[in-house]
Amino acid sequence: MKSAYLGIDVGSISTKGVIIDDQNNILCSEYIWTEGDPIGAVKRLVRSLEKQLDPSTWQIIATGTTGSARKLVGTIVGATIVKNEITAHAVGTTTFYPEVRTILEIGGQDSKIILVENGVAVDYAMNTLCAAGTGAFLSSQAKRLGIGVEEIGEYAARSQHPTQIAARCTVFAESDLVHKLQMGHPREDVIAGVCNAVVANYLNNVGKGKKIVSPVVFQGGVSKNSGVVKAFEKALGCPVTVDPNGHLMGALGAAILARRGKGRKAFDFAVEDTEFHVREASCGRCPNNCEIICVYSGNTLIDAWGNRCERGAVR
Amino acid sequence: MKKTVLIERKTPVVGIPRALLYYRYAALWETYFRELGIKTVLSPPTSRQILEDGAAMAVDETCLSVKIFYGHVKALIGKCDFIFVPRIATFGLRREMCIRFSALYDQTRNVFRETHQRFLSYNLDANENIDQEKAFLNMGETLALGYSPAELKKAYAAAEKADQRAWREKLRAQEQILKSKGLKILLVGHPYILDDPYLGRPITDFLRSMDVLPLRADIVNRDTAIKRSLDVSPSCKWEVNRELLGGVEMLKKEVDGVILVSAFPCGPDAMTNDLVTRKVKDVPLLNLVMDTQTGSAGTETRLESFVDIIRLKKGVL
Repeated sequence: MKSAYLGIDVGSISTKGVIIDDQNNILCSEYIWTEGDPIGAVKRLVRSLEKQLDPSTWQIIATGTTGSARKLVGTIVGATIVKNEITAHAVGTTTFYPEVRTILEIGGQDSKIILVENGVAVDYAMNTLCAAGTGAFLSSQAKRLGIGVEEIGEYAARSQHPTQIAARCTVFAESDLVHKLQMGHPREDVIAGVCNAVVANYLNNVGKGKKIVSPVVFQGGVSKNSGVVKAFEKALGCPVTVDPNGHLMGALGAAILARRGKGRKAFDFAVEDTEFHVREASCGRCPNNCEIICVYSGNTLIDAWGNRCERGAVR
Repeated sequence: MKKTVLIERKTPVVGIPRALLYYRYAALWETYFRELGIKTVLSPPTSRQILEDGAAMAVDETCLSVKIFYGHVKALIGKCDFIFVPRIATFGLRREMCIRFSALYDQTRNVFRETHQRFLSYNLDANENIDQEKAFLNMGETLALGYSPAELKKAYAAAEKADQRAWREKLRAQEQILKSKGLKILLVGHPYILDDPYLGRPITDFLRSMDVLPLRADIVNRDTAIKRSLDVSPSCKWEVNRELLGGVEMLKKEVDGVILVSAFPCGPDAMTNDLVTRKVKDVPLLNLVMDTQTGSAGTETRLESFVDIIRLKKGVL
């Protein structure tokens, strides 16, 4: 029996899973949509990974979870380590690109920048209150223009004179975009303009005050959009690398952190057949009225969180 | 024959909202009223209820901290005779308080005009040659309870002494943390955000739970801080932000990371945070903006990853 490590990254849009060996080689991986049901997505993910893995050779001895549903999923799969997505991405990317200096990441709901020196993350920033220029903005604009989000790159590549779109704020960008369309700007120019706006917004917001040094790696769902990749290369004046496994970097990082961590616990594929449910309760013991999340496996409470103080502690 | 009647001096109860400048002047205010034999009541610590109550009464453009302040005022109505809302405008040239503090008394009275609540205030305004002592003496007279100028002066002197004692205590605590060994992170923000049990305290608690020693840019020698701030910006006009700018200059070499904490929207912070971002080199920096959001997940993700990054850099993760 050889040791293997499982990493799961549950984001708002997609759920990613990867199993690695002691040398960080990818044994198997899976990428599915979360569809608003992180528990269901993880069960489907685990089922698919089980089919790909030879149980007579490999034994999963540590599990890491990351992404916005990391806590919930970590409870369900019995994770040995639960880490935020920034650390996971930094660890995953620097393992495969030790020479990287800047990691750009734009996901469905948020965007981040991670600065790296000598293979170690040294600084990062994340979008503050504003979600402008994330994947959600691109897909809503693609919808307005009547094209699929995956076609954006193709359209943008045909543009000769990208339209100027106000980049400061999504709301203004959208009204500006409508205005430009009504003024008669060709669709491909407007689409190229949207890609430029996403980049300008990212650099002015998340990238503000950060020194972006080449080599640059671009990740997250939006990195699959060649229009935005080209806009980044133009704005930064250097090549931007998009790894075909870029979408797995968070899960990879979680698996690597699980391997490096001290916790050891054999992973049980039985989770895919276990009934989990989550109940939300209002504490009501003080005016904060915290929303407490209780996770049950069958009828047994396995974990709870969300309370600001011990008055709301469930166990 | 005339009967002699004894007139009892009935002292009012003053309500103090536990918000905004209370976190700067708690000892000063409470001691002053106590010295005059006036009872005070404090509003309860900020909770979601207080925040929601305040936000419902404030205009949208007001900052989160003023919204919270209104929630505290509301919590005091019916519990006291006066609610204490000072107007603190300016200490001198380029030593101004945020415009919100100049307007606070008038605004609060207007927001609560239908409650017929009475308010008590002092007006500190260097442009009218009213310093803190004079402001307090003036307020004592408006109370119209027959305090003699000597009584008022004595009460103020005691209050100021208590204020300085409390301040030295804070400085000493910070000094202790500076001397301790461990990962140190400098928090840069207004005391009414960092000390607020609902907004800023969870940040400090979360950092401590990760074995981080949190330091504060506002708890430094204020005279030195104001002087040092001139190196960063000769023209910044906000008193508290000057202290923060100087505090960052004084401490940035002692810490492993810097976290800027602001309420949304804050005019002075919008300017000085940008300055700090450009002046702090070689130290990881995180910008946190607090809004009415209730979930703590976003804040915790940012704090956890920030601490991880520092630990990765040090090779301990």
